[in-house]
Amino acid sequence: MSQKTILQMPVNRVEGDLDLKVEVADKYVVEAWCSGTMFRGFEQILVGRGPLDGLVITPRVCGICGTAHLTAASRALDAIAGAEVPDNGLRLRNVALMAEHIQSDVRHGFLMFTADFANSAYRKHPLYEEAVRRYEPFRGRTVIETVRETKNVLEIVALLGGQWPHSSYMVPGGVVSVPGQSDLLQCLHLLKQYRQWYETRVLGCEIGRWNDIRNASDLESWLMDKEEHRESEIGFFLRFAKKAGLDAVGKGHGNFISFGSFDLPHQTELKPGRAEDNRLVPSGFARGATVEAFDAEKIQEHVSHSWFRDLGEARHPFDGETRPYASGSEGEKYSWAKAPRYDGVPAETGPLAEAVIAGRPLFVDIVTKSGPNVLIRELARLTRPARLLEALETSIREMLTEGGDFYNPPGEIVEGVGSGLTQAARGSLGHWVKIEDKKIVHYQIITPTAWHASPRDDNGVRGVMEEALVGTLVKDDGNPVEIGHVIRSFDACLVCTVHSLHKGKSSFKMRV
Amino acid sequence: MNAKSIRIICVGNRYVESDNVGPRVYDYLARRDMPEDVSLIDGGLAGLDLLRFVEGGRRVVFVDALHGFVPGDLPLVLDHGTTLGEWAAGYGHDGGLAYLLRMLPAVCGNGLPEIALVGAGAPVGTDVVGHLAEMALSIATGEWHERGHNPAISAA
Repeated sequence: MSQKTILQMPVNRVEGDLDLKVEVADKYVVEAWCSGTMFRGFEQILVGRGPLDGLVITPRVCGICGTAHLTAASRALDAIAGAEVPDNGLRLRNVALMAEHIQSDVRHGFLMFTADFANSAYRKHPLYEEAVRRYEPFRGRTVIETVRETKNVLEIVALLGGQWPHSSYMVPGGVVSVPGQSDLLQCLHLLKQYRQWYETRVLGCEIGRWNDIRNASDLESWLMDKEEHRESEIGFFLRFAKKAGLDAVGKGHGNFISFGSFDLPHQTELKPGRAEDNRLVPSGFARGATVEAFDAEKIQEHVSHSWFRDLGEARHPFDGETRPYASGSEGEKYSWAKAPRYDGVPAETGPLAEAVIAGRPLFVDIVTKSGPNVLIRELARLTRPARLLEALETSIREMLTEGGDFYNPPGEIVEGVGSGLTQAARGSLGHWVKIEDKKIVHYQIITPTAWHASPRDDNGVRGVMEEALVGTLVKDDGNPVEIGHVIRSFDACLVCTVHSLHKGKSSFKMRV
Repeated sequence: MNAKSIRIICVGNRYVESDNVGPRVYDYLARRDMPEDVSLIDGGLAGLDLLRFVEGGRRVVFVDALHGFVPGDLPLVLDHGTTLGEWAAGYGHDGGLAYLLRMLPAVCGNGLPEIALVGAGAPVGTDVVGHLAEMALSIATGEWHERGHNPAISAA
């Protein structure tokens, strides 16, 4: 007779308020429910305000990806105003967003994800002691280095945008902050320092060498090639994660989505991620590694299992609403997150989705052979900077050498409809905006974590993280570290609103 | 990054009543002239990213909502040793003030400044905001200690 256990737990080292309930039978997860436990109401806050207010308010949606929200808000207003952003405006926007990605990827990897490698659940793992030396919270060598180094890369955003987080320097038509030569040279200096650390300590090789890896076999050869590779953070991650079996958990639905990001200037050395899409990171939807063209009209939000008023059918964000409705369907509705779907199905987003949709050979090879899993998802995140650092440097150099405007005034915004779609560090982010009589009358936001941490949809289909959890082996339900791996591989980020110092609040007990 | 060696960093979310102590104290102090060597900083929700504003300082006074130390909205001062205590359990994206304070000894460049933390359990009234602001300024300028206050954890 099978033994069933229900584990209900708040999850730390994710952003904000996520409650997770899993049903475990004979040590395997057989059912999962992800619940966002806080209603925030940013969309309602924006209704009735001036058209530009989203540029100030939406970067406050998130304390870790405010640049992405600012990008989405600006792009929506670009579309409404018919603004033509000059090349340098595009470059500066891209540089700031790339810098935000680069710090986020590394912080998530070494402060949040690999912290689990130092969990006592792995005390018998042959690499456990080294994992503790690297990743023990507050003391690990890599933890300390990560805090020091990511601080420097974020200075780039602060130099270009005045502050980070919650900056508001992007506007329809470009950016309002024009960097001087000394600012740009300082950015290059900070970037050079960061790249040196990233290549030496994280990759253990030059970026070009890493980007030459084209399949699983190449990856194995790279790992065996040099001690520097094996001892690098990526090398150690691969060795630890394979031994821990992280390439066999967290599969999920196997669908991927990218809204695309980093519009390329007219004059640039940078090449688009896909020939037909003039952006560094292309848009697309993929079932496995089979990529389809992206069509924003296929996005819908389901609320049948969310604490929002049910409109009878899934709606496109231009037609949807965010009206709290917490009574009447207890037991069926269980989350403050909506359930975004593309063409009726759930899809994961983030660095792995970007890599698959861009056709990066290593990730296409592994996803084709074995589907997504925790290891490859986190590897995509940890190595995304290897793609972005060079593009970032090129963009700064082009701002130094190419003259031209950073801003092209679009005129007053009186009315119109537009969407701003981009890729935040965690994945696809969209703002859908309607303006009437110089006021916002409609604002809907879909965040990357809405894709991942969504509840079931109108068809009863599990959300991405819920699906990825099913089948996970939980060796010790008092310390379910495996569940933490799956959840954190998606870099879940629910909210960033309330923080204050609570004596004794933080505890690992019964937390994943 | 910041030439002034004494910093008052007000932390919190002005849109959330239970977390708006820091921003309200910032607004109060922003209407006043700061002493020559004191820099007033709106720390918002920057959390770990306030590290850049701590580095290079001689004395840093944080102002934030403090819950669970003393009942109600009593103003409270936590001194250097207590402030750097082990409150934070780990990093989240919200890697907030507790995480920063615990990491400071390991990551703060140019030596660790003298740290103090001033706050009260929110919500707070206007009178408490004013009291906290004066207290933060007094600690920043050194008058607080000259007057004989030197609590580890105390209601002020």
